[in-house]
Amino acid sequence: MIWLTWRQYRTPALSTGGLLLLFLLALAATWTRITDLARSTGLTGCSGTACDRAATTFLQELDTGPVGPVYVTVAVALLLLPALFGTFWGAPLVARELETGTYRLIFSQTVSRGRWLLVKLLVGGASAAFGAGLVALLLTRWAAPIDTARGDRISPLTFAVHGVVPIGYAALAFVIGVTAGLLLRRIVPAMAVTLLLVAAVQVAMPLLVRPVLATSVTSITALDAAHPSRMSFDTGSGAVHVTGPAAMPNAWILENTTITADGAEFAGPAPSDVCGPESGGPEKCQEWLAAQNLRQKVVSVPGAQFWALQWRELGLLLAAAVALALCCLWRIRRKLA
Amino acid sequence: MTGALIAEGLTKRYGRRTALADCTLAVPAGHVVGLVGPNGAGKSTLLQLACGLLDPTAGRIEVLGAKPVSGSPTIGFVAQDTPVYGGMTVADHLRLGAHLNPSWDHAFAERRIAQTGLDPAQKAGRLSGGQRAQLALTVAAAKRPGLLLLDEPVAALDPLARRGFLQGLMEFTAENGTSVIMSSHLVADLERVCDYLIVLVGSKVRVAGEVDDLLSSHHRLAGPRRDPVDPGSGVHVVEESHTDRQSTLVVRSTAPIDDPSWQVDRLGLEDIVLAYMSGSGAGRDRVLEGRR
Repeated sequence: MIWLTWRQYRTPALSTGGLLLLFLLALAATWTRITDLARSTGLTGCSGTACDRAATTFLQELDTGPVGPVYVTVAVALLLLPALFGTFWGAPLVARELETGTYRLIFSQTVSRGRWLLVKLLVGGASAAFGAGLVALLLTRWAAPIDTARGDRISPLTFAVHGVVPIGYAALAFVIGVTAGLLLRRIVPAMAVTLLLVAAVQVAMPLLVRPVLATSVTSITALDAAHPSRMSFDTGSGAVHVTGPAAMPNAWILENTTITADGAEFAGPAPSDVCGPESGGPEKCQEWLAAQNLRQKVVSVPGAQFWALQWRELGLLLAAAVALALCCLWRIRRKLA
Repeated sequence: MTGALIAEGLTKRYGRRTALADCTLAVPAGHVVGLVGPNGAGKSTLLQLACGLLDPTAGRIEVLGAKPVSGSPTIGFVAQDTPVYGGMTVADHLRLGAHLNPSWDHAFAERRIAQTGLDPAQKAGRLSGGQRAQLALTVAAAKRPGLLLLDEPVAALDPLARRGFLQGLMEFTAENGTSVIMSSHLVADLERVCDYLIVLVGSKVRVAGEVDDLLSSHHRLAGPRRDPVDPGSGVHVVEESHTDRQSTLVVRSTAPIDDPSWQVDRLGLEDIVLAYMSGSGAGRDRVLEGRR
């Protein structure tokens, strides 16, 4: 059964493997440059405010050279990898057998439908997880100085291509593809549905699920009205919206709102001659805002939770993949045509 | 003795469409069975139920004394249109069989591939219909099944390839004594290889029995017109047709026909099958197709 799985999927497996190898080589080739740069700019082993200066120089230096493009390429590839596993590995797995009728050949051999699918799911899922995991873990090590300098390791896009979660996305996408193929019985519709579902999972995870998995921290401080990150005034109603500065390194900010002393969200109104267009600049409005006794409420996930959150998300993704795989096994045993 | 295939009230429905209705059969082992009927009569459904690819909606089916499940080592199946993996070579198909079947007879498989003149290095997708059918038969037969099911294996083949395939099948059954059930909508294909016949029309079994018995118990009676017909007890009218002066009947009777007013003729297998197909009211178009 393993021989057959290899024989049938060696072409997609080898081409995907070749592609991943290319990324690994690109990472390996730029590895010394990134560590040298981190050492020469003083980022390695820095402490206190020296770190901020070192980080700025380091990031400026990065722009000139291959490291930046390599980082973007590999990160984007890792984001697209689940879709590739789902549509090209997963979706045709059962759908091709059903569409071309070869399921009647293979299930006439001395192999039960359940075992046939189980082996294919295990081999395919494990290969997808291994490929994605290998690239992601190497990228995590490779990009460690960049992440330190930027302090954005936990931000949604970076989070999805770091650590162990790419393993979960790859495995789940593969199983989604298999399920779609089994239910739709046609390759092309199964591929299209898989693409949509995988993208939906990748979008829904940071928007809906990850905030629930994380333990967020709420901080309420006096609003620094002199340095707002955003400010707007509605001339009709006089409503004013102000968002305080979000200088929170190494944290994923879920919510940044301005509230009044009694906890309600602040929305003005402000007198038009203070904050309106005739006031001649934002200074008067900022002074007025500072006198309103406003607070800034920030809900964030601290960067220290990175690995805990990674493992939780991986667990959830793998659990979903296993559950879906069990549904497939139950279904193929019960009913085929 | 357990039969090759025993069915009781076997029914298969796809949604509201009934593919096989209340089919009761007992096929003894050791025969080469022909399953004949027009397209859409339920032949494929019956064979796929027999190899476990489908589950019955109602009723019971037993193959070689056990409920069939796909993946059974004792049932070989060559599906309609003889599906093979287009991207894999002939030799790959034999390796597939060897890996997946503990009972695989590799020497037999290689011998048959050599006999049929297939190139082991050729991709199965490039084989002609006849070669593909030979490959599919080889894979199914080298598994050494107790019962080999063939679903319209020659339907898409030209006459020469058809003869080659049936020749190979006959050699295989003569060597091994394996029970075979083979479906076709052409009696001529089955006549040469089968010693047992099942006629399936409109999802119902019309007649089943050994070919010799069928030939000796069916008669064509011709005589002056009589309507209604009463040919006597123990005689079952399969088909009747009347002109102004004459009545012609196809009857089944184990006892000889004594009535001197009938002219009694023997019938060929094809005539018998056609009588059952038209007598069942299956429609003339289907009969014509059967005569093709």
